[in-house]
Amino acid sequence: MPVTFTFGEFLGARSVIGSTLAELGDEYENLWVLTPDIGATLVEFRDKFPERFLDVGLAEQACVGIAAGLAYDGNIPVVSGMLPFLSMRALEQVRTDVCYPNLPVKIIGTHGGLVGNGGSTHYAVEDLALMCALTNMTVTSIGDPLMVGEIIRQSMTMQGPIYIRLAVGKKDKVLYEPGQHEVRIGKGIVARDGSDLTIFTHGTTVAQALDAAEELETQGISTRVVDMFTLKPIDEDLILRCAEETGGRFVVLEDHLAYGGLATRIADVLADRGVQLTAFERLGIPQVYAGFGEDEQLRDKHGYGLSATVEAARRVAAAS
Amino acid sequence: MGSRPLAATDERHSVEELEELAFELRQKLLQLCGTYEGAVHIGGDLSAADIFTVLFHYGLNVDPTDIANPERDRFVLSKGHAAVCMYITMAMRGFFSYEGIVETYGQLDSAYGMHPCKVQLPGVEASTGSLGHGLPLAVGMALSARHRGDEHRVFTLLGDGETGEGSVWEAVMAGRSNRLGNLVAIVDRNRQLMTSFAEERVMFEPYPDKWRAFGWNVVEIDGHDMAQLVGAIDALPAPDSDVPTVIIAETIKGKGVDFMERNLAWHAGSLGAADLERALAALNASREKESV
Repeated sequence: MPVTFTFGEFLGARSVIGSTLAELGDEYENLWVLTPDIGATLVEFRDKFPERFLDVGLAEQACVGIAAGLAYDGNIPVVSGMLPFLSMRALEQVRTDVCYPNLPVKIIGTHGGLVGNGGSTHYAVEDLALMCALTNMTVTSIGDPLMVGEIIRQSMTMQGPIYIRLAVGKKDKVLYEPGQHEVRIGKGIVARDGSDLTIFTHGTTVAQALDAAEELETQGISTRVVDMFTLKPIDEDLILRCAEETGGRFVVLEDHLAYGGLATRIADVLADRGVQLTAFERLGIPQVYAGFGEDEQLRDKHGYGLSATVEAARRVAAAS
Repeated sequence: MGSRPLAATDERHSVEELEELAFELRQKLLQLCGTYEGAVHIGGDLSAADIFTVLFHYGLNVDPTDIANPERDRFVLSKGHAAVCMYITMAMRGFFSYEGIVETYGQLDSAYGMHPCKVQLPGVEASTGSLGHGLPLAVGMALSARHRGDEHRVFTLLGDGETGEGSVWEAVMAGRSNRLGNLVAIVDRNRQLMTSFAEERVMFEPYPDKWRAFGWNVVEIDGHDMAQLVGAIDALPAPDSDVPTVIIAETIKGKGVDFMERNLAWHAGSLGAADLERALAALNASREKESV
């Protein structure tokens, strides 16, 4: 069934995953979907291709290992589950079974960031640091629910592995009208243009950055928002261009540890290229186990909510 | 069984020939252990030498001149530290150059390293070395074969110590749950870990019962008795059956060299020239003793 949506409204990225995989299953007869007991969103694929659907139960390590075995034999396996467990419990399988032989295994999951109110067992907050460290791995973090489908589609022809990170995926704001931006793995999206500073972000906080930019506009600050949905390989050209075009003023906002994620990726590019910024602030999760609360409450509590973003942008814009 | 396009079935060796091949394999292992300056995992190579021999010279339907044939049997070396035993066995079967192994093993840019890498050495089926990874990979390959309606089997060789890894038992459940009668695990039950003997710190027993409890077809044999190894291969259920098989092969770590047998010091090591002579003499003596 095709996904219907309205721009600016909310849509579950999970339903996009389900419908996209069910659709791609026709086109790719070697597409498999595997899950460690997180299959509710995959029913469309399961019902359509039961012989290529595998729920291993609570066994993340075997799930990723089995996916690698399938990929060795010429299949395209998608492993779908909760990212805290896929990125940590199965980390060695991802690294050694998938990345080492560079197999086309797609890892796609939810609970990236302080989302879902499950507590720190159920928040993937280190995952991007871990995944970006892996040779051969492509790392993405998606906010716009429709983009998830496009990324999955593009990943089908990729040779190596990819990590696709979502928030909870039940209710995500549709950020872009279809065709509004070219979506290409490895290329950042200028979600909103501006000239005083750039906010780089990914995933669930893209919507927050756009809200912040709106607010900043009323205060006379022109804010560019870059949806850097691919963390690896990072879009160096876009980073350098933004440094030039927005006065060397950067805020990096992410629902991930403030050190180790996108901010670190960008800082690495700047250091390697010898780029001197005017101001740089990173907003993300500090070194704490974050506790319980709704997503927005946690972002506010830990200093990377909407008002903190606006304040950081004002400081960066005013820096001399 | 359906058509088997590979050459292997026509070249099955007799038990005596297999014993001779296993002896030669052990000689070659010791030679390498004598010439290579770094450590060779000789203990677990020698415990598995008969298993490797029966697989590559008898059980596996593989063709060294046709390594990508989709109908070939797959072999995943889960106990990746026995890589050199696999390389040499495969060289004896015609996959690789034995001289190439001897001359380059462990050296910069060699494809023959301590643990096997499929990318660097096509012909091996998977990159392994970290323990507990081979059985999940084999389950994936067996699922793929089952889905395609292929008739080949997927074999994997594990060490018994390795089965302490939880991921092994996750895959044991998956193998049974998915009714993979085309999946064959072989456990090199040499009753030694790197630093301790089995049961000393880790209680494996009742070991075969653990596999039975997970619903597998359990075959218990003497892993150094070539007739029993051949018998276990011959008795494998049809690949389109529903229950995966584990062959628990009772072995001796360091088998064939008296001073290495059941000796924790020989998990891995290197032989000097004098010790190489001593080891080869011990291997000869061991064969003579067994043929009496």
